[in-house]
Amino acid sequence: MDIELNLTTETVEQTGLKDPLIVAPDVSIRDVFELLKTKKAGGLLVCEGDTLTGIFTERDALRLMAKQADLDRPISEVMTKSPATLAAGSSVAEAIKMMSGGGYRTLPIIDEAGKPLGVMSVKSLIHYIVQHFPQSVYNLSPKPIPAMEQREGA
Amino acid sequence: MICPNCGHSNIEGADTCEECQQSLVELSRPRAVTSVDRTLHREKLAALENSDPITVTPDATVGECLKLLVEKSIGVVLVVQGDQLVGIFSERDALMRLNVAANDLYDRPISEFMTPNPETLTVEAKLAYALHKMDLGGYRHIPTVDEEGHFQGIVSVRDVLRRITEDLVVTGNA
Repeated sequence: MDIELNLTTETVEQTGLKDPLIVAPDVSIRDVFELLKTKKAGGLLVCEGDTLTGIFTERDALRLMAKQADLDRPISEVMTKSPATLAAGSSVAEAIKMMSGGGYRTLPIIDEAGKPLGVMSVKSLIHYIVQHFPQSVYNLSPKPIPAMEQREGA
Repeated sequence: MICPNCGHSNIEGADTCEECQQSLVELSRPRAVTSVDRTLHREKLAALENSDPITVTPDATVGECLKLLVEKSIGVVLVVQGDQLVGIFSERDALMRLNVAANDLYDRPISEFMTPNPETLTVEAKLAYALHKMDLGGYRHIPTVDEEGHFQGIVSVRDVLRRITEDLVVTGNA
């Protein structure tokens, strides 16, 4: 498998997108926190009807916790509005560029109408890369440094 | 496995050739095929380490740690006692363990909420190990230690991704 070719020809959908968690803009921050915890998710999308209006991630949650913010305000006040998105059908290479360039860990994938189809995470990207180098990664010896510390019998 | 010395066909995984007793160990070593493979096998974690990881002591408060994470734009603080790493506290831990109770837990010590004894790698380990651990455990950060277990630094998923993509010369037209 040639990863360079695959990166430019495979689409983001093929890396296995996660179904996005979606909430309405008027949901409270407290409910969002609890939802993220029960779903063990690192972020969610805020949608008005079918249209993506914002994103709320762990990082945003952290900022609120650090300044002891009031958790009963609606999520729309603290979400990141008009987040960076990728159009469906974009290549994996574009996703990597966007993630490492912008420092994003979660990219919503949207269709032409702006409806979110899924979320691409840095975790699924790492898994995708590992799968391209099974020889290198899955054949590792259990200890990073297998050599003996001292010569036998010396 | 064909013995490179005498051409005898041995069973897969044999240590020595049945016919001529030559060692076949070299044949079973994983071999690099692409530039990324080579990087994964050769590059040591020491080469991509963040030189200045943020550390706190176990009695630092939750509030201090949260503020550090935000101010320094980092994903994790390392909890260090002397030169021994005792725990790690990430933004994910903040969301999963503090959650809506964050305001009430603000003055509690971080040692109650950190992940104790996190997985570590030595600075001599190759990149492939970090990638594997990150994929398996879903970690975004792996602290590094020297041979005696003294804390050295940290490797993040971003560092690893950046190093790999350097090799790939990503050619998408985004």
